[in-house]
Amino acid sequence: MSSPSTSHETLLRVEDLRVEFHTDDGLVTAVRGVDWELRAGETLGVVGESGSGKSVTALALMGLIPQPPGKIVSGRAMYRGQDLLKMPSRALSDIRGNRIAMIFQDPMTALNPFLTVEDQLTEVTRRHMGLSAREATAHAIDMLEKVGIPSASKRVFEYPHQFSGGMRQRVMIAMALSCKPDILIADEPTTALDVTIQAQILELMKELQEQEGTAILMITHDLGVIANIAHRVQVMYAGRVVEKATVDELFANPRHPYTLGLLESAPRVDKLEAELRPIPGQPPDLSKLPGGCSFRPRCPFSIADCSRIDPPLVKSNSDGSYACLVNIDEAPRHDATSQISEELS
Amino acid sequence: MTLEMKEEIVPAVAATRPLLEVRDMKVHFPFRRGGWFTGESGFVRAVDGISFTLGEGETLGLVGESGCGKSTTAKAILNLTPPTSGEVYIDGHRIDGLTGSAMRPYRRDVQMIFQDPFASLNPRMTVGSTIGEPIKIYRLARGVDRKLEVMRLMELVGLNPRYINRYPHEFSGGQRQRIGIARALAVRPRLILCDEPVSALDVSIQAQVVNLLMDLQQKLGLSYLFIAHDLSVVRHISTRVGVMYLGRIVEMAPAEALYESPQHPYTQALLSAIPVPDPALERTRRRVVLQGEVPSPDKEYPGCPFADRCPIVDDSLCRDHPPMLAGSAHKAACFKADTSSL
Repeated sequence: MSSPSTSHETLLRVEDLRVEFHTDDGLVTAVRGVDWELRAGETLGVVGESGSGKSVTALALMGLIPQPPGKIVSGRAMYRGQDLLKMPSRALSDIRGNRIAMIFQDPMTALNPFLTVEDQLTEVTRRHMGLSAREATAHAIDMLEKVGIPSASKRVFEYPHQFSGGMRQRVMIAMALSCKPDILIADEPTTALDVTIQAQILELMKELQEQEGTAILMITHDLGVIANIAHRVQVMYAGRVVEKATVDELFANPRHPYTLGLLESAPRVDKLEAELRPIPGQPPDLSKLPGGCSFRPRCPFSIADCSRIDPPLVKSNSDGSYACLVNIDEAPRHDATSQISEELS
Repeated sequence: MTLEMKEEIVPAVAATRPLLEVRDMKVHFPFRRGGWFTGESGFVRAVDGISFTLGEGETLGLVGESGCGKSTTAKAILNLTPPTSGEVYIDGHRIDGLTGSAMRPYRRDVQMIFQDPFASLNPRMTVGSTIGEPIKIYRLARGVDRKLEVMRLMELVGLNPRYINRYPHEFSGGQRQRIGIARALAVRPRLILCDEPVSALDVSIQAQVVNLLMDLQQKLGLSYLFIAHDLSVVRHISTRVGVMYLGRIVEMAPAEALYESPQHPYTQALLSAIPVPDPALERTRRRVVLQGEVPSPDKEYPGCPFADRCPIVDDSLCRDHPPMLAGSAHKAACFKADTSSL
């Protein structure tokens, strides 16, 4: 997918978002000042490992961070001239599920097991679109057909447990798209599914985007999924965005050592790599981040300045930007493993 | 005891008979649902007649989607889930149905590592006692020797031996998986059954554990049965690969042959469904999108079990159960598989 078909109008702009959690282990800064924008009709991929802050960002936008222990310390999320983060909860409920919808990794926990699919699908349309009970049911059946659930008019009256994992994810997508949202936030929507079902769901999301022009924020750890569906990508590490680029640029010419590390450590199904180059060390402990660049302890390109400076995002030669002091094409590569064992002892 | 001694115990020369042989193994779980008089009963055919061999120093990958029976296969080999029928041989000795002390020597030869490094370690045991327990049970070393052996094992799997008195919760997922590997290695097994050993780990950590398993194989001459749903990881680590569908192996081949020229339509669909980290390639890749989902293993399929979803099904041919088609190394259970290249 080279470029989205629709205009480049910015739908959602997130500025300097910071989210903290007060935990037993102390203060954890899950998101440390991220800026990004989502444009109409595009799919923006967010990649990162567990603890990178990719899901917390999405939850913050939807007003779903439990406060306490969580706290949105700073930031703005501008959507149609309004700041989602400052909006009273009532006003936010008018947008949530209506203009901005979200789907999750595990549809079984996101759907209510005591309500039929019809109850759950009609609740959104009756609330937001003011449909009558009869209209809402007809609309629900329509939506289920659209997401490819066979004999929708019968299955709409069934409970979530009567659907398979792939079908449940379709139900959740149907629910999310019921009010024709501008933005769909998808948090690891295919991670729990088998690959053949994942392929079906990704196809479905692309088709629906083409028909409805919905902008998608696709959160995943799977670089293959990103390559398949995203137009632009941002890579997150330890609560910060460390690289932004178009999907082609990111895979062909990664600028941040962490992005390069991710690409080098993942085996591929379409060719045999001589060896995998894992990123050494462990994912960062957000309550004990090192000074300077948080990727430094695992980085094979680090220089002395990296322990002092937490690099800001700077423009790359192409359209993207990255947060690193060195040029990884020219910098010497050293063995970060030894660096880590020193720090352990 | 050192690594060198290990090599004396297990000669690296390939034995004439396979280390592990499974013959026509079935694992059926009885079920009944509905009312006592009105309900139905039957069997879930989790594993429905599979046969394979695994040689010394080899890695056999077993792949398939959830519910295909790959994990049940591993459990049935060790009789953790007793097989309903079929035979299992370790080094020519028949072990299916063995329990207790009769099974004990073989349990030492065959160890297992699990998917979830959180659930498979006792949270109230230190790393030292977790890894040391099998050494104690098999009376391989005692006292200071045992502690030294545990520390050697920790070093072998890339853990700092100074952490010997720590508890599992103090380690990250990748480190915990290393503890599980060290525990499996403690009794000096010849074969390790790996059940989704890296699927719960982050991508960067996955590669660390895969590399560790491959290093250990080289150093210790281990064999692996590597069970995973991630076909990319399996390609990297396996010498041979078997693809399972509804409790049967539908294709078995040397790894490169399977990935470069898959013969069974299910294997072809499975491989084409996996997105690759290359956007330019993704745009042009042809995808075999399968309709529907894996059918339930609770009934018997008289014909080819894949027929309902098969893109090249031929109603007249596929009414019978397809046998594993020829080729000594590359086998596919499909009437329409292209046998010319096998």
